[in-house]
Amino acid sequence: MIEFNDVSKLYETDGETIHALDHVSMSIEKGEFVGVTGSSGSGKSTMMHIMGCLDAVTSGVYLLEGQPIENYSENELAEIRNRKIGFIFQNFNLLNRMTIEENVELPLIYRGVRSAERRRLVGEALGQVGLSDRRKHTPNSVSGGQQQRAAIARAIVTDPALILADEPTGNLDSRTGTDIMTLFSELNAAGRTIVLITHDAGVAAQTHRIVRLADGHIEEDSKETKNGAAIF
Amino acid sequence: MALQSFKIAWKAIAANKMRSFLTMLGIIIGVLALVVLVSLVTSATSAVTDSIESMGNDMLTVAVLDDKGNPIKLKDMDDIAGDESIALTTPILQLNGTAKVGNETYDVSVEGTNSAYFSIEGSELAAGRFLKTADLDNVSHVAVVSYEAAEDAFGIDSAAGARDVVGQTALLNGRKFLVVGVLAEDESIMAAMMSSNAVYIPFTTAERMSDSGSGISQFYAAAKDSESVDRAEQALTEALTSRFRGDEDAFRILNQNTLADTMSDVTNIFALLLGGIAAISLLVGGIGIMNIMLVSVTERTREIGIRKAIGARRAGIMLQFIIEALVICLIGCTIGVAASGGIVTLVSAAMPDMTFSLSGGVIVVAVLFSTAIGLLFGLYPARKAAGMNPIDALRYE
Ligand SMILES: Nc1ncnc2c1ncn2[C@@H]1O[C@H](COP(=O)(O)OP(=O)(O)OP(=O)(O)O)[C@@H](O)[C@H]1O
Ligand SMILES: [Mg+2]
Repeated sequence: MIEFNDVSKLYETDGETIHALDHVSMSIEKGEFVGVTGSSGSGKSTMMHIMGCLDAVTSGVYLLEGQPIENYSENELAEIRNRKIGFIFQNFNLLNRMTIEENVELPLIYRGVRSAERRRLVGEALGQVGLSDRRKHTPNSVSGGQQQRAAIARAIVTDPALILADEPTGNLDSRTGTDIMTLFSELNAAGRTIVLITHDAGVAAQTHRIVRLADGHIEEDSKETKNGAAIF
Repeated sequence: MALQSFKIAWKAIAANKMRSFLTMLGIIIGVLALVVLVSLVTSATSAVTDSIESMGNDMLTVAVLDDKGNPIKLKDMDDIAGDESIALTTPILQLNGTAKVGNETYDVSVEGTNSAYFSIEGSELAAGRFLKTADLDNVSHVAVVSYEAAEDAFGIDSAAGARDVVGQTALLNGRKFLVVGVLAEDESIMAAMMSSNAVYIPFTTAERMSDSGSGISQFYAAAKDSESVDRAEQALTEALTSRFRGDEDAFRILNQNTLADTMSDVTNIFALLLGGIAAISLLVGGIGIMNIMLVSVTERTREIGIRKAIGARRAGIMLQFIIEALVICLIGCTIGVAASGGIVTLVSAAMPDMTFSLSGGVIVVAVLFSTAIGLLFGLYPARKAAGMNPIDALRYE
């Protein structure tokens, strides 16, 4: 599903070059549930933005379903983001001028779903994250955890094949966090590929594979280790 | 898609009501200026040309500039205007003068003419009679006064009052005249504009009072009908050219049609000029819109990033901002046209002599122009928004 081939991402700030990703190679198969961990600034969000076709690589190749994404036009990428990927941002990125319901509805609008169908899907997604009673509120009139759940609802409403979640439980109490993790596990069981960034070792332990980043490269990948253990 | 973009645009406009209104104001004022100015000029133009035409577009004015020592006499007129295309002629001798009634003196324009003048002008009487041939033969000191002159000098305020004026006397340039007739009030706009304080006296009498010598130096000729005007002009040109020994510059013939044409040419240029100035102010309004749209794009950078991240295409983002600019322009245009209607109605009420109405053509122009401005000045900000890289836009604070 996802393949990084010697991917680097550099940022130039004030003449200084930061290697946010430094020659990263790895692949994620369809149906995997991957946890990405690493200290702050290790390149987790950068990796996820590239996976989500939001950012371009500096060097190397990123392949999504076997296709290098540089082959796609801007509009095709928009379509991929809309149909295949559900993105939960670290800082939610909800539109404050709209209600939670309208925020969740937005990807369906860009997808061209009819109004009655949209209402049904939005209701379903909000129910799954337990936010039905806040549907008419705007994001800045609800709590951080509720905003996070709204962002999750927006990511899953289109039923995407790939869910990318940047700290989806960071603002949630452990009970709600567990609920959300259960939801992700269900989605994964239903065949969705999930990549989840987290600092929380407990949350990471609920995924099936852990990739640890440090200074822009993969320090540890539990899949490699397991395979390695199997080989030796 | 378009409906959604419209909803989004509407939300953005409604979210910033004051700013949207101030932006619109540029368009409102531009449209207002355009529609009101052009409507007023067009209404005035049609009133003036109508009035010129009602004076008879079968009329020719002939001025003799150089009589070559052979002035035209009244009896020569039959010869000069003998062609069957010419129905009537009347000599005109204008004198500047004063009229003294009682102890008061008034400025009047004294017109020496004959009875045909009133037929050509289509004048009507409020009281008394017109000039007669006998008045000219006898060089009588009689006068027919215009209603306006009677109002001024004799203080009448109704047609009934005009009857009392007949039989009174006035001193015209020091000579005593008997008022024999008062013309009915002329309500046409031309008359209002020229505000003719005219007093008509027999041509022969005026000739004696004038110090520029005798003879006809100006006359009106009425063609049989409006189709014969050109032929009448031709006939007069031939007759006068032969009289003045082939010198075509010795006289000038003014065609009423030409006058009306010139008049509407002038007012059309006027309308274009005013319209142009108003269009420039509309353009300035458009630049204001572009400015605000650019601010709006910058302010909403993050929003654009979010929309792109969840799948908005380039066209979707562009449409959103273009529609926003268009909606601002068209709402401004609608308000501008409505306000123009109000102003034109007010002007009409203030000037009962004239009827002003909104010109349909200029409204169409205003709507098209506003739409064009919305598209033109919305395009650049919209392109700027649509061209943003999603992740850079998301990071924008
Ligand atoms: N737009 C940018 N310009 C310059 N440097 C950047 C930019 N984005 C990220 N970086 C740098 O790249 C590195 C990786 O950033 P990234 O956001 O991927 O970290 P992260 O692992 O998600 O950290 P956190 O856990 O704090 O979210 C950091 O050193 C960061 O400063
Ligand atoms: Mg991060």
